[in-house]
Amino acid sequence: MLATYDVTKTDKRFIGAHILVAVIALSIGSLFGPLQAFQFSGVDLYPYLQPVFKSYYQGLTIHGVLNALVWTTFFITGFFTLTTILGFKRGLRYPKLNRVGFWTMVAGLVMAAIPILLDEATVLYTFYPPLQANWAFYTGLTLVVVGSWIEGYGFFFTYRAWRKENPDTRTPFIAFGGLVTMAMWQFATLGIAVEILTMLLPWSLGLIEGTDPQLARTYFWFTGHPLVYFWLLPAYVSWYGMLPKQAGGKLFSDSLARLAMWLFLLLSVPLGFHHQFVDPGIPAGWKYIHAVLTYSVFLPSMLTAFTVIASLERAARKRGGRGLFGWVRALPWSNGSVAAQLLAGILFMFGGIGGLTNASYNVNLVIHNTTWVPGHFHLTVASAATLSFMGISYWLVPWITGKPLWKPRLAVIQTWTWFIGMLIFSNAMHVLGLLGAPRRTPLGVAPYVSEEWSGHLLRVGLGGAILFVSAVMFVWIVARTTWGKERLGANEEIEVPIAESEQDPQLTPLWLDRWVPWIVGTVLLILVAYGPQLIDQIANIDLGSGQAPSIRPW
Amino acid sequence: MADEQETEAEAEEFHPRGTVAILVMFVLAIIILWGSVYVILLSRGVTV
Amino acid sequence: MSAPNDAKRTLHIDPYEKNWMRISIILVIVFAAAVTVAGFALGFQVPSPEERVDPNNLTGPWENPGLRELSPGVYELYVIGNATTWQFEPRDVEIPVDSTVTIYVTSRDIQHGFKLQDTNINMQILPGQVSKLTHVFEEAGEYPYICTEYCGVGHAAMFGNLTVVEK
Repeated sequence: MLATYDVTKTDKRFIGAHILVAVIALSIGSLFGPLQAFQFSGVDLYPYLQPVFKSYYQGLTIHGVLNALVWTTFFITGFFTLTTILGFKRGLRYPKLNRVGFWTMVAGLVMAAIPILLDEATVLYTFYPPLQANWAFYTGLTLVVVGSWIEGYGFFFTYRAWRKENPDTRTPFIAFGGLVTMAMWQFATLGIAVEILTMLLPWSLGLIEGTDPQLARTYFWFTGHPLVYFWLLPAYVSWYGMLPKQAGGKLFSDSLARLAMWLFLLLSVPLGFHHQFVDPGIPAGWKYIHAVLTYSVFLPSMLTAFTVIASLERAARKRGGRGLFGWVRALPWSNGSVAAQLLAGILFMFGGIGGLTNASYNVNLVIHNTTWVPGHFHLTVASAATLSFMGISYWLVPWITGKPLWKPRLAVIQTWTWFIGMLIFSNAMHVLGLLGAPRRTPLGVAPYVSEEWSGHLLRVGLGGAILFVSAVMFVWIVARTTWGKERLGANEEIEVPIAESEQDPQLTPLWLDRWVPWIVGTVLLILVAYGPQLIDQIANIDLGSGQAPSIRPW
Repeated sequence: MADEQETEAEAEEFHPRGTVAILVMFVLAIIILWGSVYVILLSRGVTV
Repeated sequence: MSAPNDAKRTLHIDPYEKNWMRISIILVIVFAAAVTVAGFALGFQVPSPEERVDPNNLTGPWENPGLRELSPGVYELYVIGNATTWQFEPRDVEIPVDSTVTIYVTSRDIQHGFKLQDTNINMQILPGQVSKLTHVFEEAGEYPYICTEYCGVGHAAMFGNLTVVEK
């Protein structure tokens, strides 16, 4: 049995390539955030971007695609490459396969980026037909997804090789977390794969005359909901499998951490209708069933809250923390990586409350398509995930490059800046939503804006400005670290934080380390939750929508 | 040595009361915030 | 080193964590009950399939969208979303207070949103499908209805006005 594995320079460069693409995507995507936020406040900078960038909506498309799809997917696959290698203490089984996956994603990114930049795909990151983008946009996105599948297969093959050598050992947690996430992702992405391959691509190539928008939405949100767990689970892997070590402690419960992850595999997909509560073509009964299922997927997050906070509490008390709440101060707040993840967790608590609200069937009527929705998802993908990924970068980039983190104190300031900016931005967006303000709209020019909204619109601008400053700080720190002249000495090398658990993982029951029952359950639930409606919608498909010229209204 | 023994004694009795305290506040926040949107729903009138 | 009787290892859960999960489950059950009562007993419902239409050939009541009185104080309002003009058809509606209005909305072209402010009428509008919900206007005043789904360059200006007048 291998006790150690010396991570190679090639391994590190490969992981680094993912992080590089991710951070570049975030840098460009984040440029548009403040433009939108300032527009809300009445400061329209878009005229100055002409003729390169044509409109608020093109900017919004770039912002959504680069931040929600590219920054995330590349960071996540890079991070899981690390957790696979270090978790299993071995190299990838078929490194060439993973490289094929990575370059496929890059090719897809370039292919989708061209029409977006040429204003041929100003369809936002949801690309709802009958809006029609250039065929290369759909093909590019497909390649990004397929590339991520291939990298996932590379992780599965590595697991199989490790399992052959270790038949009775519990799968190391950080590797296990990556495998579960990629398995969930494989199921999840079937929706948009079918949407693009059977509907959008043939339609945009002129092979079929029209489209069925309701069926397209159903396929999209089949993927769109578990997409958020694809974003979240990597953060959870760090919160369970690394953060306790960084705090000086251990994972409070290995068993429950694994149970939570399995529950996400089981429950992430079969509830996408909660994004379609006010769609015309889905019966209320089915919407209700998905609402109940969505309540069930709230539970593994509640479980996570307890296990993670308990792990931190134990670590903090070991460090001398005392009192019912006072122990929180004893956590290593001066470590930027830790601070980022703690603050991400706090923001996520509010994101979770908002999510529970959105999922609550008729309560959704209050907030659907209002600014509440982006207010919510900036607390989740842009905080729980993104701020955690920023925190992870603060040890990951030094580990990859062998250079010390540039200005560690600035890293701490960066995370607090993000936290404060996000509180202001997100709160204003939630309040505006309750007042009736629509999302996806340049409110600075909307004629129906009421007096009541103006103060909050200004706060959106302020929050956006602060977030932008924080994003610039993050990118600058990563760049200065990567291209810094200093190198870490031999005894200063970064040790990847991998947490032990309080109880020996070998004592975790076998059913929490066996795939077949969970996969079977996952497939069955998807068939039950989606089968009847998909069959109904496909049988009654009507391609009468999507005639030119209205499909290109930008 | 004494430290290890102390830690082991603590380990046997550690129950995360601070965690519970934080999560109780979280549940209160959930109830208040979710509840306020539910009340808004009810105040805006039936739809059938 | 594998432990014997692996399959029989039981899950050890801290009693505080067990109670936390009980509370979480009770919480979602209570919320589910509140939502179920509001939805299925009190009438706070979401849209259900109403009708399929041909967006290229909207016939019947759609040929002349607007208000129709079914009986005193009971109305139907047909609204069409249009992404060529970025308007709702009609743009202005007037009804007397205490009216019950069932609102049907569809699109001539691409997706739109329809949100009637200060009511629970908030619907995703798809070409080929009819969205339907009802509201009882107990208070006089102005109720703007706005488009809440990106539908092109004119999206931000797409709104109409429903005025409720005292009798």
